[in-house]
Amino acid sequence: MSVPVKEVPFAGTVPSPKTENEGMITGNWRTRRPVLDADKCTNCLICWISCPDSSVNQNADVVSFNLKYCKGCGICNEVCPVGAISLAPELDFED
Amino acid sequence: MTNLFEEPGLKQITVWARGVYENKEARDVVVAVTEAAALEGKFVQAWENYVDLPDRIYVPVRAYGKISDQEIESKYVYENETPDIVALTEETLVKGVDILAGIKPGAVLVINTKRPAEYLFKFIKKGTENLASIVTVDANSLAKSIITLSGAEGATDASGIGKGMGAALAAAIVKATGIVQFESLLKIVENKNAAKKAFEKAQVVDVKTLVNAG
Repeated sequence: MSVPVKEVPFAGTVPSPKTENEGMITGNWRTRRPVLDADKCTNCLICWISCPDSSVNQNADVVSFNLKYCKGCGICNEVCPVGAISLAPELDFED
Repeated sequence: MTNLFEEPGLKQITVWARGVYENKEARDVVVAVTEAAALEGKFVQAWENYVDLPDRIYVPVRAYGKISDQEIESKYVYENETPDIVALTEETLVKGVDILAGIKPGAVLVINTKRPAEYLFKFIKKGTENLASIVTVDANSLAKSIITLSGAEGATDASGIGKGMGAALAAAIVKATGIVQFESLLKIVENKNAAKKAFEKAQVVDVKTLVNAG
């Protein structure tokens, strides 16, 4: 085999990401998109802790979402104590 | 030079779905259509793409079918590289997934959706030049998606072929393409009611009219 063993990826596994991983863009898994109501958000960051894909960004005022990787699992919507995050059908958005 | 690998009678069906939730439905669509074709004496194959790792929730996964008048020479080719029919068990797959990769001229796209084809067409960025028509059917309103791991590893499927909304999607494929007789499909699927309603309600839209409309 001409390819060195360490260069052969196993199944869908990719190197552990530090901030982003271009080998595993998962935004197209999403059927529902998290939408933030900025008036309700208290920036408690429970969604940021809970997001399994680290797709919630910390900001000074309110959180935002990294839709390049968000799989639309809806955990942020479940854990939000003030109900600031809702889920909308992905095809309602043009982008 | 002649193409030694050409198979003129071969029709390829690719069904896209979401992992776990619609894995069985995608499998049911290809199994139902190919089993119906087998009843008509065709050579058939149906299988799933395991490289897609379908045990991850929401991951885009594929199930494949092949139907031919002659014996299928490419039976060990693991993926459908040039599909004639592409079906989606879920509408958001039009966005961000290259569903039309490699389609043959005159290919048909079947989508399980409430939305009109005009709206969904805007999201498809690649491969539309070979697409002939888009078929929309609201299969979710006719039958529920059966979520089960039975059959996911190639063993027997305890819930039955075409028990859920896959039956409706298969009926829409048959209506749009005529790849098998609808009567043959009805002999295979469990949910005959959903299949009949979908066969009535599926809407076929010519892609030329969508392109002209902009």
